[in-house]
Amino acid sequence: MNKIAAIAQAVVADAVRRKVVWVVVVFAGLLAVAIPALPSYGVGIIDGVYKQVAIALMWVAAIVVALSLAATRLPVEIERRTVFNIIARDVRRWQYVVGTWLGMFLTLGVVLLAFAVATIGIGWFTYGHPMFLLFEAAFATWLEIGIVMAFTVMLSTLFGAVTSVVGGLTIAFVGHAAVSFLHLPETTRAPIWFPSLDTFNVINSVALGNGISLAYLIAMIVLFVGYVGLFMVIGSYMFAGRDL
Amino acid sequence: MSDTVTLNNPVAASTDAPALLIEHARKDYGRAAGGRRDAVADVSLNVSRGAIHGLLGPNGAGKTTTLKMLLGLVKPSGGRFEILGLDARKPGARARVGFLPEQPYFPQQLTASEAMALYGRLAGLSRSEIAEQTGDLLERVGLEGRQKTILAKFSRGMLQRLGLAQALLGQPEVLVLDEPASGLDPIGQRDVRNLMVSLKEGGATILLSSHQLSEVETISDEVTILHQGRVAARGHIDDLLNVSGQTSLRVLGVGDLPAEVAAVVCDIAISGATTVFSLPDEHVRRVIEQLYDGGWKIVSLQPKRASLEDYFAALLVAAEKNKPNDTASKGGSDE
Repeated sequence: MNKIAAIAQAVVADAVRRKVVWVVVVFAGLLAVAIPALPSYGVGIIDGVYKQVAIALMWVAAIVVALSLAATRLPVEIERRTVFNIIARDVRRWQYVVGTWLGMFLTLGVVLLAFAVATIGIGWFTYGHPMFLLFEAAFATWLEIGIVMAFTVMLSTLFGAVTSVVGGLTIAFVGHAAVSFLHLPETTRAPIWFPSLDTFNVINSVALGNGISLAYLIAMIVLFVGYVGLFMVIGSYMFAGRDL
Repeated sequence: MSDTVTLNNPVAASTDAPALLIEHARKDYGRAAGGRRDAVADVSLNVSRGAIHGLLGPNGAGKTTTLKMLLGLVKPSGGRFEILGLDARKPGARARVGFLPEQPYFPQQLTASEAMALYGRLAGLSRSEIAEQTGDLLERVGLEGRQKTILAKFSRGMLQRLGLAQALLGQPEVLVLDEPASGLDPIGQRDVRNLMVSLKEGGATILLSSHQLSEVETISDEVTILHQGRVAARGHIDDLLNVSGQTSLRVLGVGDLPAEVAAVVCDIAISGATTVFSLPDEHVRRVIEQLYDGGWKIVSLQPKRASLEDYFAALLVAAEKNKPNDTASKGGSDE
């Protein structure tokens, strides 16, 4: 566990200093500042619209950061042979894959926390009251994009950055398209075999409701652990058979 | 290799076994139908404890692939690999090995200290041990005062030095160094050679891979020469490369060599006032006297040694002549 933590810590230290991460966050923050200028803003549900747009920005910023980190990390480390110094030590390949994902997942958590704090601050300043429910949305987004990240890392153990980005975007898109793909009624849940990420879509609960329940939170975490575990097992297996 | 140790109890055997043992290593790429290519066809190595063993060969000889198989970076197609008596594939076998890959890179946004902390933790060191060793090792490789520098700002040579420092974390018993002087200036190359000698004096075993003879010849106890994925020769470098019955002479002087000298020497090379040539051993005394008499200064006198390039060229010629045979060897492969 110490080795996974060591790799994750190095990934965080490396990733949080990359400009791309903070450029995305700052750009998304500027868009959040501009939310009150949106045309639909006059419909009356001011808080709800603000939160809906903030959550959408949060999701977009998270997926850009996630894919830019997850799709490139392993291919670049293999190409530059950075990975040699790690694997040649007494480190198992699965530890490297899991440590790398964990580091990027934690980095994403820092980014989302910063963005959530910023949007809550902007909302508080603009409307006079804090919208702490945005933390719940940030947490749900973190878990969902963490799954997308795990899938992207899994692909990147064998494929290059472009293929991994396309794969990551595909799982993110398909994960919210069960209703369209399977021609289901709007309120129907996707069947168990479908890789649905709809559980992590808490936009209505947060923007227009009272947030999510503890049971729902636990369900999200269970689903997250299941998906990430599956992708990490497959990714580790794929990476174990690869010549570096 | 005839002196293989059979290991039933890895812990007990680890005290007697060689530091590194590679037997019949093989790595092929592609499928038989699609044209299989052997990166390593048959390589065996036995590195004694406390020795510096040079692994020589031209580019593409299979040196790096052999090291990668030993260290778990490449899956072997066949062969046996042991580190300090333990199966190299087993957990824990690589715990006492430090590795410097060829042209090492590191996560660019880390500082030198953070990189050392990462590799130190992977080596199982405590935080206090890492802090203590980081300062010492960075100073030892000439990177003192660079602890807080982001690695993106490091030059090629500085990365090489950092690669050496991280390989030495935890005082490993075995060091595997792939082209350690690559990217270093002459002073840096000398520092690396001195470092390896001092590590050996401290009891470490070093497997040193290089395509440069000069990097290996002065410090190696034994060398193995690879050629086209096979062991072409092994032994002491003097035994392998010295040209029997010939002496090499380096002299300083102006003008042409005396006629009596010019008549018996060959392979003459002139650079400025320095002239290098070789001659049969039986003429050495007489030629030196004639040169002294002519006002020349003797700079060095040593057995004539073939360059590695000449040696490989000879191997190629021998291989062509003995096409049905697999190994063209001066020392002879002992597989």
